Amino acid sequence: MSLERQRLIWVIVFLVMVLSAFIVPFTPLMSNLTKFYGAFLFWSIFALVVIIFLGMITARWKDDQDER
Amino acid sequence: MSASTVYIALFIYFILGSIVARQAGRKLGGGVNEFFLASRSLGGIVAALTYSATTYSAFMLVGLAGFSYIGGVGALGFELIYLSGLVLVAFFGPRFWLVGQRYNYLTPTEMLGDRYESKAVAAVSAVAAVIFLIPYSAVQLIGIGALLEGISGGDIPYLAGVGIAAFIAVYWTWTGGLKAVAWTDSLQAAVMLVVAVLSVVLIAYRGFGGFGGMFAGLESEYPAWLTVPGPGFFNINTFVGLTLPWFFFSLSNPQVSQRLFVPRSLGQMRIMVMGFLVFGFIYTLVSILWGFSARLLIPELAIADNATPVLLGLEIIPAGVALLVMLGICAAAVSTVNSIILTLSSMICRDVFKNSRKPNDENRELLVGKIFVPIFTVIIVAFATIRLDLIAALSVASSAGLLVMVPALIGAFFWKRGTAPAVLASVVVGGLAATILQYSGLKPLGYWPGVWSGLIATVLFIGVSLFTRPPEKKATEFISYLQEELGRKKII
Repeated sequence: MSLERQRLIWVIVFLVMVLSAFIVPFTPLMSNLTKFYGAFLFWSIFALVVIIFLGMITARWKDDQDER
Repeated sequence: MSASTVYIALFIYFILGSIVARQAGRKLGGGVNEFFLASRSLGGIVAALTYSATTYSAFMLVGLAGFSYIGGVGALGFELIYLSGLVLVAFFGPRFWLVGQRYNYLTPTEMLGDRYESKAVAAVSAVAAVIFLIPYSAVQLIGIGALLEGISGGDIPYLAGVGIAAFIAVYWTWTGGLKAVAWTDSLQAAVMLVVAVLSVVLIAYRGFGGFGGMFAGLESEYPAWLTVPGPGFFNINTFVGLTLPWFFFSLSNPQVSQRLFVPRSLGQMRIMVMGFLVFGFIYTLVSILWGFSARLLIPELAIADNATPVLLGLEIIPAGVALLVMLGICAAAVSTVNSIILTLSSMICRDVFKNSRKPNDENRELLVGKIFVPIFTVIIVAFATIRLDLIAALSVASSAGLLVMVPALIGAFFWKRGTAPAVLASVVVGGLAATILQYSGLKPLGYWPGVWSGLIATVLFIGVSLFTRPPEKKATEFISYLQEELGRKKII
């Protein structure tokens, strides 16, 4: 897959994720869920998934190819 | 807590930090790159810690804890969406780093000026950063002054707190430039994280019998605090208005985007990014839980920002731990302020002073930059002393105001059609809009200043670009170089 295509896919993935972080907790289902496993858990998992995805994207940033 | 105990703790903290700063600054060379960018040679762990300490200020354990005290879990969403904004570094980090190496850029605003072939772009962007970041820094010092005054029962005068924090910040910066700042930041980041985690575990277990008990308490006594809009503070407009500008923080704030020039390799930059994400995730959770604890233990506070100082005075927190938390908050503020001072000084010497003189003399440029370190410190202290309403407004407006740089930055890397007049229009008009809206308290159509400033800057950047002439040769060279290098390294 070309780099441009990979970039586009990641942009779409993050766009969907970030938009969901703005929208989902405000939906009626979650805004009435007064429990630990409501918005608190949702945002925590959202952040952990972002961290894992960023770990995947940055895996190609290497030392050996760019020594100064 | 007695004033003498606080003074002794601060003195020990200052001495330890000064030893670190001296060691770090020992082999400092004489150039601007050495002083302001640590010779572009930071290792990943130090870079991660300085990035964390610079990003996270006294706002976290005071302001964010206050947000969760008054508005509930929305504060967590706000701060974690900010953290997810690091996705911008995943795209822009290697690009900043590569062009930084190739063109020897010292500041992000110098990069903008060169890319758009306009000294005015560099100078105006630098001045905009100064206008928004000085009040933001002053608020950090105001926070320390108020904290020390509060924790000592008024025995430590407000001005003494402000003065001590400013002195520590300027002394370490002056001692060894970014090397000293990065290493003292690392020490401070470690203090911030360790004491924050320790204190929240202590509060949870001594106050509620564990985290389960804390959440059970919230579910039964303050169930709305576990939802948005919940108690009402985080309605959707407020939430978007606060969060949107902060999502772009890693690009819009030069004191952090300048950090993208300093890792010694892309591999080390990866460690910086991932290390920061882990730090940020933990520190955010701790700050939110701190606010929740205050909600359960001291529900009657009139001012949410007092949640932390009052919580520190409760018996469930041993005096030694309270003292450490106080130091952790001071460290968070000092590490943010000294990084901002250093970045602003580098912008003045490179983007304003050097641009206006010929021939260029690096020694003189460095001297100007170093002189501005104490000058900016004095200005920040003066702002903290007078405590004008405008300072608070400008500080809040900083994220909305700096957001106006983002279209120009994105355009620099991805849009050959962008032009210098468009950058100037978007930064000046967008910045003015952010300031006026924030100061007047106006929210047209219910939207916050950050939404409007971002929108205005974007529309102006695109619109004006279409009617003016782009720097075609430079744009092609700049973007083609990046495509080639990124393609070779298989980086998206």
